[in-house]
Amino acid sequence: MSSKNPDYYIVLGVFRDASQEEIKRSYFEAAQRLHPDKNVAAGETELFLEIQQAYEVLSNPKRRNLYDATLPPEIYDNSVVKHEMLFSRPNLVKLGEPQLIYMLLEVAPREDKETLPSPPLNICLVLDRSTSMQGDKMDMVKATAIQLLRSLRAQDVFSVVAFSDYAEVIVPAALNSDKKKQEGRIQMMQTSGATEIYNGLKAGMQEVRRTVDPSRVNHIILLTDGQTYGDEQACLELAEQAATQNIGISGMGIGSEWNDIFLDALAGKTGGSSAYISNPKDIQRLLVDKFNALISTYADDVVLEFQAQENVKINYAFRLQPDGSSIAIEPQMHLGPILRDAPLQVLFELIVNPSSLDEDVLTLLNGSLKVSMTARPTPVPPIRLNIKREVHISPSPEPPPTRILSALSRLTLYRMQERARAAADAGQFDEAARHLQNLATHLLSKGEQSLAKTALFEANNLEKMHAWSASGNKDVKYSTRALLLGGVKEKEK
Amino acid sequence: MIVCSNCKHSNMAGAVFCAECGAQLIGKDTLTTQNITTQQFERVSERIPKNDSYQPFDGGDAWASLHLLDTGQVLPLSMKNEFTMGRVSEGQPIMPDIDLSPYQAYAAGVSRLHAVIKRDGNRIIFIDLGSANGTYINGKRLTPNIEQALNHGDIIALGKLKLQILVKNL
Repeated sequence: MSSKNPDYYIVLGVFRDASQEEIKRSYFEAAQRLHPDKNVAAGETELFLEIQQAYEVLSNPKRRNLYDATLPPEIYDNSVVKHEMLFSRPNLVKLGEPQLIYMLLEVAPREDKETLPSPPLNICLVLDRSTSMQGDKMDMVKATAIQLLRSLRAQDVFSVVAFSDYAEVIVPAALNSDKKKQEGRIQMMQTSGATEIYNGLKAGMQEVRRTVDPSRVNHIILLTDGQTYGDEQACLELAEQAATQNIGISGMGIGSEWNDIFLDALAGKTGGSSAYISNPKDIQRLLVDKFNALISTYADDVVLEFQAQENVKINYAFRLQPDGSSIAIEPQMHLGPILRDAPLQVLFELIVNPSSLDEDVLTLLNGSLKVSMTARPTPVPPIRLNIKREVHISPSPEPPPTRILSALSRLTLYRMQERARAAADAGQFDEAARHLQNLATHLLSKGEQSLAKTALFEANNLEKMHAWSASGNKDVKYSTRALLLGGVKEKEK
Repeated sequence: MIVCSNCKHSNMAGAVFCAECGAQLIGKDTLTTQNITTQQFERVSERIPKNDSYQPFDGGDAWASLHLLDTGQVLPLSMKNEFTMGRVSEGQPIMPDIDLSPYQAYAAGVSRLHAVIKRDGNRIIFIDLGSANGTYINGKRLTPNIEQALNHGDIIALGKLKLQILVKNL
């Protein structure tokens, strides 16, 4: 698009058949981001004027019609990212019962890796400093925070918030700050008090918001070793707010006490994920890895919006890459980020009901992918998804593509662990143990001997004691999850 | 609906892996049922000496023994004149006479039914049963299903698992 004659639809990031409602919403979002009171980067005022102009034309049906007549035909090629869809079966089958189909979605950057600049960071470390963090954990956290501080580039913003019953800003978010002084402040952190995540998260959000900027990677890393009590709901609402302001959240839990389901849900609201740190020694490695992933961010989040189909239901969604995590099924699904060296990969399980199979072609999914792109102030045009499959009389003898097969074989293991956990939570310990025993059998046949042993050990615990060992459910969950990621990497080599 | 051939769990049509036991349902050859007579089972593994250090060979009434070079254990062969060797794997109805799975057989690449060792008069005969990773005698690969005579002290490798044959003077 030339700057002289911009396509107003692209400027606002909407489809040409967008309703007035959608145009309005998209305009408000863009205007908030680019408002002259807020923006810092050069050229953003011009962009703001451009979206103003676009909205003026498109919000008026008469002017919109006139404008539409002057437009060249729509080019469906989305210039910034490319996406690819693989299916477990080439077609659906006319059947009198529900059937499953799996879909693997990959969204990758289209530009060459070399031409992309590395985006500046705006990161807040929100650290739990409750009494239980004392000793090794706190020492490692301090050392890593200082290491990260030293590794910053001039354009990066880094803040640190420590929380217990209340939150304290240790390092405020600012550019060109005195690093020596900040190192000293990190060193001085003392452990005391209990864990109240909401306070920490709120202070962290405030710090990130000070320098929030769509061209930065705005992210909160929450590190905790305990359960928060009573403020889970407030935290989740805060995370939802963060998602609308382009702020991502990742969780890291140390030891066995923290609530992994809560942390997963919290991070999931923004397309992030949680990680499990079983040994304080791993704090450094995981945090540095997370930082490197953030530096290579290409898009902060990909959101799948879809209209619920009457007879097709998304039953399960799991992100295989860049980091593994199951994804909550909502009308707006935060699928996760795209890294420059790791495209986003999500596996969907769809249930198709028989009543919809009278037609020859069935729409599985009708919606769009919205990519919020780092270092790109104008909205990225959404990608329209209209996924259809033919309905045949007999099943195709073709085996599923190897990529789906290998991803599914590992995901099956992860889901067996989920089932074991659900059964144990429901008090059905024999069933939980059986799931874990089955899991162990498969782990053994994949050569994962130590993990298989852990699974069997936990099966035994559940059978005899009707409880997991202290960190058992997390050990099994995060190791089977790691297996999924390992599988993706192996395949790429 | 697809019924899992492993656990009989009913899965929805189109499923690729069994939701209950995790077995692969499609894109794989179907399993066939085999009948195995129970009389040929004998628990050899219970007679494994428990001590880890290598004991001087005293076969007792065994006509030969297998010395596991990695762990130093000795498995005496007695009672019958023919033994199949392999590893037991869960969910599979294959029961070799000598189960090598306690000795890292899976990691070493031993097949479930790997080879046969038998005594024929004064000769000891070894046959590879078409194993995936092959059988080597003193470094030479055997042709599957062809008899090969063994001598005292020969080194047999099932995949990467090395055994030395110790023959009692017959």
